[in-house]
Amino acid sequence: MLLRCYLLKNDLRFSDEYGKVLMLGNEALVRGCLEAGVSYISQYPGTPTSDIGEYFHRILRENSDVKDYLVHQWAVNEAVATSSCAGAAWTGIRAFNPMKHVGLNVASDALSVIALNGPNPGAMVIGVGSDPGSLGSHQEQNERFYAWMLHLPTIEPHTPQECKDWVKLAFDLSEKYDLVINLRTSTRSAHSRGFVELAPLKKGKKKGEFIRNIPKFNSLPPHAINNHVRLYERIERLREAIPDLGLNKIYPGNNTIGIITSGIPFGYTMEALHQLQLYDIPILKLGMIYPLNYQEITNFIQDLEKVIIIEELEPFLEVKISEIAQIKKLNVEIVGSDYFPKYDEFSTGLVATTLANIFHKKPNEQMTKAIDYFNSYKDIIPSRFPTFCAGCPERATLYSILKATDSLENTVVCGDIGCYVMSFFPPQQCSDLIICMSGGLSAAIGMSTKTDQKVLAMIGDSTFFHSGLSPLAEAIGYNSNILLIIFDNAWTAMTGHQNDVLRYLINKDFSIEKVCKALGVPWLRVEDSYNPKKLTKSIEEALNAKGLKVIIIKRECGLQAHRYRMQQIRSIESQGEKVQEDIFHITGCQMCHECSRILSCPAIRRVEIDGYETMQIDDDRCIRCGVCYQICPNGAIHKSTLNLLGEEVPFRH
Amino acid sequence: MEKMKLKETDIINIVIAGTAGQGVITLKRLIEFAAQKSGIERIFGSEMHGLAQREGAITSHTRYQKKNFKDERRNLQSPLICYGDADLFICLEPLETLRRGIFASQKTTFVLNEHDIPGVMITADLEVYPPLDKIVEILKEYSNDVHTINATKICLNNFNSNLMVNIFMLGYSIPTGSLPFIDVEHYEEVIKEWLRDSDTNIKALHLGIDEGKKVNQL
Repeated sequence: MLLRCYLLKNDLRFSDEYGKVLMLGNEALVRGCLEAGVSYISQYPGTPTSDIGEYFHRILRENSDVKDYLVHQWAVNEAVATSSCAGAAWTGIRAFNPMKHVGLNVASDALSVIALNGPNPGAMVIGVGSDPGSLGSHQEQNERFYAWMLHLPTIEPHTPQECKDWVKLAFDLSEKYDLVINLRTSTRSAHSRGFVELAPLKKGKKKGEFIRNIPKFNSLPPHAINNHVRLYERIERLREAIPDLGLNKIYPGNNTIGIITSGIPFGYTMEALHQLQLYDIPILKLGMIYPLNYQEITNFIQDLEKVIIIEELEPFLEVKISEIAQIKKLNVEIVGSDYFPKYDEFSTGLVATTLANIFHKKPNEQMTKAIDYFNSYKDIIPSRFPTFCAGCPERATLYSILKATDSLENTVVCGDIGCYVMSFFPPQQCSDLIICMSGGLSAAIGMSTKTDQKVLAMIGDSTFFHSGLSPLAEAIGYNSNILLIIFDNAWTAMTGHQNDVLRYLINKDFSIEKVCKALGVPWLRVEDSYNPKKLTKSIEEALNAKGLKVIIIKRECGLQAHRYRMQQIRSIESQGEKVQEDIFHITGCQMCHECSRILSCPAIRRVEIDGYETMQIDDDRCIRCGVCYQICPNGAIHKSTLNLLGEEVPFRH
Repeated sequence: MEKMKLKETDIINIVIAGTAGQGVITLKRLIEFAAQKSGIERIFGSEMHGLAQREGAITSHTRYQKKNFKDERRNLQSPLICYGDADLFICLEPLETLRRGIFASQKTTFVLNEHDIPGVMITADLEVYPPLDKIVEILKEYSNDVHTINATKICLNNFNSNLMVNIFMLGYSIPTGSLPFIDVEHYEEVIKEWLRDSDTNIKALHLGIDEGKKVNQL
């Protein structure tokens, strides 16, 4: 989930008033917001929406005129972001609230009320990044059902052009109908690049004003029901207007079998039909997937014998379109989930194979050949999991956990969301379960009352603020028999080191240690995983003590620490000065695999020299954390210091 | 080898596969921005962000169409290449070619960097990396347009750095004819606009082109 903002120094894509530019879906969303006069954005980072905030930040850094009216905030979690956006919208401005699909779970509590109340006098659009195929998420879910539950009109773009145009339209609709609009992307539409025709930019409102309206903004009895009634009225007004919005499009055809689809699956469908040379299938491409206009759908399906719904994940359109067919008593067969999987992302190949089956066509031979040929070699392809970077302090912590517990003997590790989500991958396999943000500590509280196994939980600093403070308070309250490891690496590392609340707090001299002390953690230590022997001992002691124990691993994210250190080194060397440098090398390796299986640092490689196997340190990738040097049981990893008289450049603290 | 001439309305499909940090996504973006400069009418391609970044396997899909059909049903509509539909497969790491092989057809041009990057499971001796010869043999049995070169070694020798491997491989791909309708000068322009050490990268591009010309007659 690491992502850099690759904007050019003289990148005019966000400042030009006209022209055709290449943009990712997410970049186009940002551009659309700038054209729509948005003046407040709040979000918690999460793939595939993290980069949206990075673009805004870059724009704000480089454009003082935009700074004059636009505010972007990295919220501490999605619920806070959503309520913040509502608060801003209620002063009469336009607010944008991106989040990943699971972020919507966190935001839903707030959103259920905000949707009832309505965002007027301002406007509010949420940008939910769905993730069929779980390409950058800890789970797969069909978050579209929130649209039904909370009455969120949902617009689903296919191309970057639609991302830009439709987010603008979404703001107009939100303002006009007093509804929160969901602009739903997917990992594919968010991170695919295409041409975007620009339109003039519009300055957002610098200031608004909150005008008291107790019935609208207090959805409690008696206003709760009134607002619910009003929500239905607003939704119905929008439903009537759908055919005039230009979001839905028909590709006519004479076949008696038609297709209804939306978003990226529309692209797969078009190319699949081209591949099968089926050019007469009528297609309805829905830009708005909730609500549906009954007459518009009826007009499309009433003369067809069969309608195939092509949508990723659980049937959503299929259910509503079947409902319309039933209400209108239409004699048409609606199919979709009978043929297509209800899980994973689709592809042109999958859609083509399925349609070939429905239309009794032969699937493309070139494709089946490719699949058969390369699948026959699947067994010889070794895995390549995502893993911790070279020198990662979290990897070093896992090493100490494995050592202190004799490879997790009689121990349960409750994992969580952050880089350490990767702990479960081999060879370390140091995480037994993952639920959601701060779900690990919460699970540990219950588990520790029902088992005599040692229960460990892990949480990172960003997740700690997101929602970890509450379960920690509870664990303290019950003195739960848990060892909690807090990774205090000073960054929201997994999503790409955003300049977020955590960074602001760190700049204000904040410390997790102080928070733990203030809350009354009974057993507390601050350790450094670059000192693995001491940390291992601490973990052993903690696991032998009863009640709640907290070990804070205070060590900056290796990637960021290394970047900063290299900057320092370059600047010293550019002045002609020498820098002292530790070099680690291996001689006399016994191939015990302590470094490759238990620490498993990617800077260490297995090579053959003169017919003998040995481990070797890749000097380019080694960040000089020195952990392998300290743990080698055979003393085969050696340290030599270059430029002894040069300046020392330690990692920053 | 005689390549089938690609038409302006053809959809050109390029798969780039490699591992995190090899510049897969940067290369995809360079091709797209150069395609824009060359007046390509339609571009739509997916890049993989997310978990793949950390030492993981990365694939990107670059797709373009020089001229649109009037009929939208025949145009480029999906950001992902269909299985068996790649025209060009740029492989920055040998093993990753096999992992994503299903995107290639028997007409696909493969350009392969011979330098391997074994993952942590290989180092831990818990899994086996297939020999390079075996990988190349599998590809050659499938397609008769397979070009391999040790781009990493060449870049280390010439530039004392492996950071230019992606650009070198781009250059090496150009003489195969599988990147039609984009001019070399447009790659140069984009490299100047986008990359830090642009002079070295342009040198790497041309070094790649020269190496490519040796094995392709164009």
